[in-house]
Amino acid sequence: MFSYIGRRASHSILSVIGLLTLVFFLTRLTGDPSALYLPLDATAEARAAFASLNGLDQPVHWQFAEYLKDLLQLDFGQSLRQNRSAMEVALQAFPETLKLALVAITLSTALAILVGSLAAARAGSLFDRIAGVASLAGASAPDFWVAIVGILVFAVGLELLPTSGTGTWAHWIMPIFVLTLRPFGLLVQVVRGAMLSALASPYIKTARAKGVRRTKIIFGHALRNSLLPIVTVAGDLATSLVNGAVVVETIFGWPGIGKLMIDAIIQRDFAVVQSTILVTATAIFILNIAVDLLYAFLDPRIRY
Amino acid sequence: MRRTGVLTIASAILSAAASSAMAQGAQEIHVVLPEQPANLEPCGTIITNVGQILSQNVVEPLTAIDPKTGQPQPKLATEWTQVDPTAWHIRLREGVKFQDGSDFNAEAVVFSINRMTGGKITCSNNAKFGDAKLTVTAIDDLTVEIKSDKPQPILPTLLSVVMVVSPKTAEDKAVNDPVGTGPFKLSSFSPQAVVLEAFDGYWGNKPEITRATYVWRPESSIRAAMVETGEADLTPSIAIQDATNPETDFAYLNSETTAIRIDTSQPPLDDLRVRKALNLAIDWEGMGQLFGDDVKRASQMVVPGINGHDATLEPWPYDPEQAKKLLEEAAADGFAIDAEIKLIGRNGIYPNGAEAMEAMMTMWQAVGLNVKLTMLDVADWLRYLQKPFPEERGANLLQMMHDNNKGDAAFTIPIFYRSSGNYSTLSDAALDKEIDAAMAATGEARTQSFKALFDKARKEVVADIPMFHMIGYTRVGPRLDWAPDITTNSEIPLANIRLKD
Repeated sequence: MFSYIGRRASHSILSVIGLLTLVFFLTRLTGDPSALYLPLDATAEARAAFASLNGLDQPVHWQFAEYLKDLLQLDFGQSLRQNRSAMEVALQAFPETLKLALVAITLSTALAILVGSLAAARAGSLFDRIAGVASLAGASAPDFWVAIVGILVFAVGLELLPTSGTGTWAHWIMPIFVLTLRPFGLLVQVVRGAMLSALASPYIKTARAKGVRRTKIIFGHALRNSLLPIVTVAGDLATSLVNGAVVVETIFGWPGIGKLMIDAIIQRDFAVVQSTILVTATAIFILNIAVDLLYAFLDPRIRY
Repeated sequence: MRRTGVLTIASAILSAAASSAMAQGAQEIHVVLPEQPANLEPCGTIITNVGQILSQNVVEPLTAIDPKTGQPQPKLATEWTQVDPTAWHIRLREGVKFQDGSDFNAEAVVFSINRMTGGKITCSNNAKFGDAKLTVTAIDDLTVEIKSDKPQPILPTLLSVVMVVSPKTAEDKAVNDPVGTGPFKLSSFSPQAVVLEAFDGYWGNKPEITRATYVWRPESSIRAAMVETGEADLTPSIAIQDATNPETDFAYLNSETTAIRIDTSQPPLDDLRVRKALNLAIDWEGMGQLFGDDVKRASQMVVPGINGHDATLEPWPYDPEQAKKLLEEAAADGFAIDAEIKLIGRNGIYPNGAEAMEAMMTMWQAVGLNVKLTMLDVADWLRYLQKPFPEERGANLLQMMHDNNKGDAAFTIPIFYRSSGNYSTLSDAALDKEIDAAMAATGEARTQSFKALFDKARKEVVADIPMFHMIGYTRVGPRLDWAPDITTNSEIPLANIRLKD
């Protein structure tokens, strides 16, 4: 297993290097940052001075060589806008996103497993139908709409929750609710589908015939055999959450990495774009390796 | 019964949490801005979200512009005298201390101006000085001499962008912990908030507010809701559709003027009749509905209150028949009025900006012009706005918005109408001479020269299509006694805010 992790890690490092190279050149294709950093009435000399101060007047291949040289010394560059190290900016934002993502994916997976398993066990019942409609609605409702309606109802109308921001546990409720909704909706469908086929398997019939308790059949036998597709989809959803929940971060003023990355792209803050991508890409590679290991843990037939 | 009980308890807990989040100290205010300030470098206070926090609060300029008259007023400078066309003597305020305890004196001003113009840091405020080369020397402890390589008749106005910082500030590095002479000092700056606290050693009157917290939310409806629920006390720049409460929402002329620039160097736009027809073909009353009842139709590129604004100058009327007639005359003289004219819009330039471009394109097509709309993102759009213009640009009209809240038409006329102007498509030596004369003039002669230039621009040159002087909406919570004005887009001096009761 350790050799598997080593292999995957070395592949991941190669991929990260490839990704960073691609991002370096793609960001440079977007144009000259001085057009955005200086006021519209700045003189041509001021723009030239800005470019020279930030090394942007050098040929791109030279800038890339400098970037690689700095990377080897773990210098990820300065943010053009924020007057501080780009990696510091990225690492300050990432834990905020990670906290939201962890809570949202744990909550949505646990709830979806419960609701999806019960819906499959009582296929065709009223509970199954309600779960079906609710999960489809959750999976398809646009999160910006849910977020704004949530604020209007719970913060402005009922005055039960703060509109946005961070600080108290009450600030977590709406962002988590909005972030949980879509993964929950999708996962309920996946859990229900996987459980339906598991519950129709011969070993379940055997268990029933042996008089095993119904809850043990559902959660002990059928669920265990349905976990692989659930883990795959939950892993995918977790990946997209770790990448930043731009809409939720924007609306609720949550200082996460998603909004930081988008702002840096729009404002051509190249070093921040590169650092945020490096941080999220590393997190995603680690997450993917963890999912692979989880497969082996859940299914003894899988060996690395 | 049990379920109702649980619900009641849950809602009570939630209410308590929400109200604790909303609780405000008696003399503390919360301001919610549309954007996060990327940094707190005092040399970038002309950037809206930096200026709204720092300007006149943490750092103070040498002069401040009176929002009503556009004239410079004393701030850290108390008097100024022009000793010759290129040199000014500036007398500084006595008894002022920086928040770090250093003395405010001539040396500090020399340091601040050299830091701004030195080129070691990117300094947005320096752009207001154009390519002028300044030499600053201390004459005595409280007097400085500022010399320029060319005449600077409005130097006192320009000094409103010179933010004086403590001499202990890093000279070669942009900072996020500014130290100035203002009534508030920076307490903390995080990705969530900026907190300012009253500075006890302030030279002026003590502000009523002792602490201000700034947060940011891009979504206008959320910001409006935050003031409504009491989470915040003040938010600038809410969208017109969110300004629904006449008791808390203030409309104010925000110093921005929207316009279309006509590329006068490209046929058929090089013909004056075509340019006049472009102005006459727009149903201005209909267009106004896109921007709300409070916008003011513009006849020139600066708002009332700016030195040089001509209140008697009439905007172009809506006269499609006259427009058609002018185009027919131009066509008869061989101008290809059916040639394609590119209308270049910018995504998100102002609310309903794209709708305005669609409407104008249709109106121009209705009088027989072949106008095609292209919407660009800011970076692409900038290529057309600034020189050098793209070689293959062809006939084009450019959507733009100009902001001049610096009190003088000098920040507008040369950029738009002088041959060397960064946005100018004109090349008229006689006009350049007139602009240079106006720029060198002072007092009433300066005002009259600028008025004459705006008159000429509107009637004879017609290099643009002024649209509207825009309105900003600010929501001010019931605790505050304060109203926004033309300067609100660049600064929100906390010392001017009073608390009711």
